[in-house]
Amino acid sequence: MTAYLRLELVRTLRDRRYLIMTIAMPVALYLLFSSVFGSQPPSDGLTVDVAIMVSMATFGAMGAVLAASGPRIAQERGNGWLRQLATMPLAARDLLAAKVLAAMTLGLPAVLLVSLTGVAVHGVRLAGWRWLAMAGLLWVGTAPFAALGALIGRLTDGDSAYGLTSGIWFALAAPSGMWMPVRILPRTLQTVAQALPSNRFAELGWRVAAGHGPALSDGLVLLAWTAGLGLLAMAGYRRAAA
Amino acid sequence: MDHHAVRLEGVSKRFGRLPAVDGLDLEIPRGATVALLGPNGAGKTTTVKLLLGLLEPDAGRVRVLGGGPHEAVAGGRIAAMLQDGGFMPGVKVIELLRFAAGLYPDPLPLDRVLAVAGLGELAGRRVDRLSGGQAQRVRFALALAGNPEVLVLDEPTAAMDVSSRRDFWAAMRQEAAAGRTVLFATHYLEEAEEGSDRVVVLARGRVVADGSPARIKAAVGGRTVRFTFRGPLPGGLDRLPGVTAVEVHGDRVLLRSADAEATVWALYDRRDWLSELEVAGADLEDAFLALTAAAA
Repeated sequence: MTAYLRLELVRTLRDRRYLIMTIAMPVALYLLFSSVFGSQPPSDGLTVDVAIMVSMATFGAMGAVLAASGPRIAQERGNGWLRQLATMPLAARDLLAAKVLAAMTLGLPAVLLVSLTGVAVHGVRLAGWRWLAMAGLLWVGTAPFAALGALIGRLTDGDSAYGLTSGIWFALAAPSGMWMPVRILPRTLQTVAQALPSNRFAELGWRVAAGHGPALSDGLVLLAWTAGLGLLAMAGYRRAAA
Repeated sequence: MDHHAVRLEGVSKRFGRLPAVDGLDLEIPRGATVALLGPNGAGKTTTVKLLLGLLEPDAGRVRVLGGGPHEAVAGGRIAAMLQDGGFMPGVKVIELLRFAAGLYPDPLPLDRVLAVAGLGELAGRRVDRLSGGQAQRVRFALALAGNPEVLVLDEPTAAMDVSSRRDFWAAMRQEAAAGRTVLFATHYLEEAEEGSDRVVVLARGRVVADGSPARIKAAVGGRTVRFTFRGPLPGGLDRLPGVTAVEVHGDRVLLRSADAEATVWALYDRRDWLSELEVAGADLEDAFLALTAAAA
């Protein structure tokens, strides 16, 4: 399984679409938004620089994880690689686990690069443990997106998977607070936002950056999404072994 | 201990209403090299997928090395070259093969795999930048890398050019000589004849012939001699040397012949009456259908 994980990571470094869409874009958006809104007064214990940094880091990580799971699995289903693997001594659950772990890990570069940009360009300073906690939480917290990607990869073919993945990425991001504070949204949308994994995922980052521990409700919502989507995806794979 | 590498007992598999494999019985002893010969739609690929556990039979029993197909796959004892098998995009040939070899308990050394599959110069190439024939060699290498006891190849030389084909069969014979059980599906009689020591002919999901390559070739091989005849049709065409069947459509005559040269030579006497003479390899599909009819 670790061998498969390594192969996934090697391959990603050669994937220009991944590198541009999911790493360069969040960094560029961070630079843009922070220069426009950076002079706003701090709120919720966070300066606006830091809040936007976390927003773009989580936005990028979510997109990277979705891109590294859904379209790839759909493509590998279409081109016969998954069929080839099914004739090799690699259990289906190990394969799925490796895919999910690889996808989650591929969310980290966006977090690291946006953070580095924050440090270098805006002089963001956080205690070392906060950086570490943020990286760890924003790694674990991508689990529901990896499960969602596995499900997309199961249900779509290679052509539609990219479009669908981008659409879902933006749809999850828009009301999540990553693009604009949740409190300026209409009241119904605020309620929806709190049920979304994207909002709870970003919440993990904001809380740690502000010096709080992760909230139990954030963890529970993310866990529920992971379990639900994961079960659906696994049911799909069991049915489509051939 | 089961001395058979493969044993199918009354195996059936249908897709919707269409039977792909229909009560198939087949036993392959360890170490044998067997060709599964048949036209498209004969059930070859379905048989291969049943052996690998990619499909479950509707009826009957599939055994590989004394156990179920899934056991054989999980133990790394059987490996396959699929017609529609793909590669992980973005990785290099050598990376893919190293990964594959690492899954098996007793893999072959990678440099040997590269040499046998003729991939020495392509090791650093990305798998999504290969020609059809090159991809086919990588599929072969992928199947070989784990040093499996049973090697299953579905239409292995599709998309290969003539010289790659020759190299491929040389490599295959070497693997078979080393004691590996090899089962390959093909719709080329020549390949079945050259590459195997036993040919099993499938048509419509059933075994219609099973024997040495020489026997099968005599049964389905042959060639056809066609010509247009001017004037009254002479009798005795069926007694010409080599002729096994005569068909007349208007002034077009078709002779099936086990010895086309002798047949044509005999026709030479009547050359003034003949035009548009053609000699062609037998249409295998026709030959298989004739065999199926004979078996029914």
